[in-house]
Amino acid sequence: MADALHLDAVGQKQQHSKAKRIVLEIFAIILMLVVLSPFVIVLFNSAKTFDHITRDPVSPPENWENLRINIEAVMHDPTTDFIGAFKDSAIITALSLVVIVIFSSMAAWVLVRNKSKFSNFTFMLFVAAMVIPFQVVMYPLVYFLKSVGDFLGTRMLGTYHGIIFAYLGFGCSLSIFVFHGFIKSIPLALEESAFIDGCSQPGVFFKIILPLLVPTITTVAILNGIWIWNDYLLPLLVLGGNGEVQTIPLAVTAFAGAYVKQWNLIMTAALLAMVPIVVLFIFAQKYIIRGMVEGAVK
Amino acid sequence: MRKFIATLLVLVLALGLVPTLAEDLNITLFHNKVEIAEPLQAFAKLYSDKTEGVTVNIETLGGGADYSGNLTAKLTAESMPDIFVIEGDGDYKLWQEYVTDLSDEKWNEETTLAYKDPEGKVVGFPVSIEGFGLGYNVELLDKAGVDPATLTTFSALKEAFEKIDGMKGELGLDSVVSMGASVAGGTWWVAGHHNFSIYLGGGLDFEDTTIVDMFNKGEVDEERLADYAKYVQLLFQFSNKEVTTNGTYDDQLAAFVNKKAAFIHQGNWVDPSFAKMNIDFEYDYISHPFNDKQEHTGLYLFAPSFYVLNSKNSPEKIQAAKDFLEFLVFSEEGADYMVNGAGMVPAFANVTLQPSGGFSKALVRANAEGGNHGVFFGKLPPGTGQDVLAPIYDLFAQDASDENLDFFIEDIKGAAKTVSEKQ
Amino acid sequence: MKRSKVWDAIFLAPCIIALIMVVLIPFVQGVSFSLTDWNGVRSEIHYVGFDNYKEMFNSIEFLYSFRITLLYTLINVIMVNIVAFLLALLVTSRVRGKNLYRAAFFVPNLIGGIVLGYTWQFMFNDFFTAIGKSLGIGWMSSSMIANKNLVLLAMSIVNTWQYAGYIMLIFVAGIQSTSQEVMEAATVDGASYIQRVIKILIPMIASSFTISLFLTITNSFKAFDLNVALTNGGPSMRYMGSVVKSSQLLALTIYNKSITSKELAKGQALSVVFFLMLVVFSLLQVYLSKKREVEA
Repeated sequence: MADALHLDAVGQKQQHSKAKRIVLEIFAIILMLVVLSPFVIVLFNSAKTFDHITRDPVSPPENWENLRINIEAVMHDPTTDFIGAFKDSAIITALSLVVIVIFSSMAAWVLVRNKSKFSNFTFMLFVAAMVIPFQVVMYPLVYFLKSVGDFLGTRMLGTYHGIIFAYLGFGCSLSIFVFHGFIKSIPLALEESAFIDGCSQPGVFFKIILPLLVPTITTVAILNGIWIWNDYLLPLLVLGGNGEVQTIPLAVTAFAGAYVKQWNLIMTAALLAMVPIVVLFIFAQKYIIRGMVEGAVK
Repeated sequence: MRKFIATLLVLVLALGLVPTLAEDLNITLFHNKVEIAEPLQAFAKLYSDKTEGVTVNIETLGGGADYSGNLTAKLTAESMPDIFVIEGDGDYKLWQEYVTDLSDEKWNEETTLAYKDPEGKVVGFPVSIEGFGLGYNVELLDKAGVDPATLTTFSALKEAFEKIDGMKGELGLDSVVSMGASVAGGTWWVAGHHNFSIYLGGGLDFEDTTIVDMFNKGEVDEERLADYAKYVQLLFQFSNKEVTTNGTYDDQLAAFVNKKAAFIHQGNWVDPSFAKMNIDFEYDYISHPFNDKQEHTGLYLFAPSFYVLNSKNSPEKIQAAKDFLEFLVFSEEGADYMVNGAGMVPAFANVTLQPSGGFSKALVRANAEGGNHGVFFGKLPPGTGQDVLAPIYDLFAQDASDENLDFFIEDIKGAAKTVSEKQ
Repeated sequence: MKRSKVWDAIFLAPCIIALIMVVLIPFVQGVSFSLTDWNGVRSEIHYVGFDNYKEMFNSIEFLYSFRITLLYTLINVIMVNIVAFLLALLVTSRVRGKNLYRAAFFVPNLIGGIVLGYTWQFMFNDFFTAIGKSLGIGWMSSSMIANKNLVLLAMSIVNTWQYAGYIMLIFVAGIQSTSQEVMEAATVDGASYIQRVIKILIPMIASSFTISLFLTITNSFKAFDLNVALTNGGPSMRYMGSVVKSSQLLALTIYNKSITSKELAKGQALSVVFFLMLVVFSLLQVYLSKKREVEA
């Protein structure tokens, strides 16, 4: 008897919670639409003429053909080289990531395995440097890089290698920190046996350690990749407003400035800037989400 | 240690291998006039095609965007342009180590508006004559029964504003004046540069810099400032607040072109934009009658910007840039670009083509008649218009009440102090 | 074979050289520039001691900027964390399609502040006002970012929209690492959902809160890109008798001083103070997490 009563209550509860779940799901769907709506608004307004967007920024576009026209207008704009900016952003982000990942993991490995006061101090130095905001160093940095360039006989400013070097400097701290945490958990025995087998130090690192680091590498690459792709102030100062090498955020500002708020074209430029990273996200969602969490929690 | 540096160098050099092949001598002109970006681009292409071994590239920065900041960024990034723009003494002081002596250039015979350094050497090529007054829609004023020729004093203008304001519905207007003073919308320069120049030079002889010199020392002419402040108040009170405080440049022009405002506070540089927006009525200038102490008929004229050549360049590049400027002044294509393409009023006597835009025509006429006033915002230290004056106008425009009028006057006095400390 | 000092040095060199050249030397230079009157372009330069600092603490522009930066940080810490926590509860509940929601809420975080700034400027100035006007809703007909009383809130809304999805992920990670049994046991005890969340879940993921708190603090304290593209500091307002830009946060004030007004040394002094405040936040974070470790 008591049992039957109990079962009945559970049954009711299950029904009750099913209703609750559906309410929750409807709420989640609405919330998702609200969060995503700015993207839709950008898309809609990228497909309007100037006249239409000023008259009516709310309704869907009348003719999607305008999207193509606007994209062409942005791409072939005489004052801002948008295609070039895409290329430059891709080159800068990709090469910076390669450089950051390889050099930071090398440094982190040495700092973990070589237990000395010097290692501790160096590690603390990297960690402490994370606190320094870009604003303090922004002007001295370009000023100093310029003289370094003069000294080495290669331009450090306005060039790929210059900005990549700068990203290594700003990106290595966090990356070393993340790698450091993971490398600590790799058993020393693995590499010791390799050393005994006569493997050289770089050999041990690249053949044994680096493959083990792959999950951490994705984390580091994602954390740095999103930052570098979207970064504005560093490229503005290191590359110059609209010099030969230009990234997407710079192109978008140059465009918004040059067109004195022709919103349909600015929206198109924004859309073009959003598409690559959103597409990448759709394909690598799992890794990106995991990478962002690990980067923060560590 | 040498080994590490060597390793690093190899890496750095390897990354630097992405080549920039340049067969041509590349000359970059970096300017800040969006309005003429396209014709200038076309002219540069024409010149590059015509001149073997030289390519002229144009880089444009938008109105309201921070040109000087961008130029600094370019300097530090070693992409300093070969030809760049200075707008007056403030810029000159900043960039004096980067300007080239142009005293021996042939075009000096054709102009009196070139920029001279304190020793009297010519260093800046006058891009154009620009100017402004209070623009009006000829048809609308006619319909309202207001004769623009009578609007030469503050009282007369105020009366006309009130009259037109009363007929807004009938005339289909949103407001009497289309004005700009927005920090967020990027029209701060309309107020912070041009309107403020009415205080600095209004009603004075063309080269009279008394007021601006005082201002730079932290002093103001109280009576003049009081009159001027009332004039600013009048403009703000009769303008559409949304356009003034939050609108963009486009919004400000659109209000006038779409006949939502009968007057506009803008310079002749808007002519090409007006044409593009299919303006379908006649428009002209009156002066800025900011007081009753005299009859105001003159317009505000100036060479707003000067091309200067980067002196840290190689002699070949400097010569190529000089050749480009000479071609601009003395060729038919150059004259055609300046007058027809860019809709500018050239600062050179040898160019005889007449502009087609309404405001530009008014300037040419005023220039011939004389009795105009100088525009001196360029004599203030860098950033004054954007960082010191603009917020003051932005704030006053939000509520141009009598109470805030006194605040505005105090704020301008405070700005004079700030400016004098920067000297 | 074994590890050699030479190889160790070679492995460390690139990062150390980059850090020294890109961060440490410029940092020392930056601090020393703040003691001069250099404008960043001219070759003239004089030592002026602490004059720039003294002037800064007497500058109403700085005091205002400092005040609203703290206010903005506070608003964001509250808004972002609350929204993120609620989102985290939602996407760890029994709703179907959790991964889809997680991804959707996170997407805004992928877009840079500059692009978002322009997009939202359009939304506030044109989109919302157009809706407000057509529906005849008075308060919605004028732009939030043109109103000096609302502009910080508008910026916070955009920041929350962008950042809450990221902080949500941190809470999700925290919630998933806790054992479900405790929460379920409490259900049997008859505790309501809200009671369970407050009394059991929140204490269990306290370390996630520490992390998100400091991430949101530094993120909003250092805000720059969004500020430039969305409001550029406008509109103006009066503060202690002076005209100030109502939404110009510290990072933008530093930029405008150093680059726009060409008063590099003064901007540099401001940035040093900015740095010291970040040091305080970081030390606080280290202290709190250490304390928690000791307690746990």
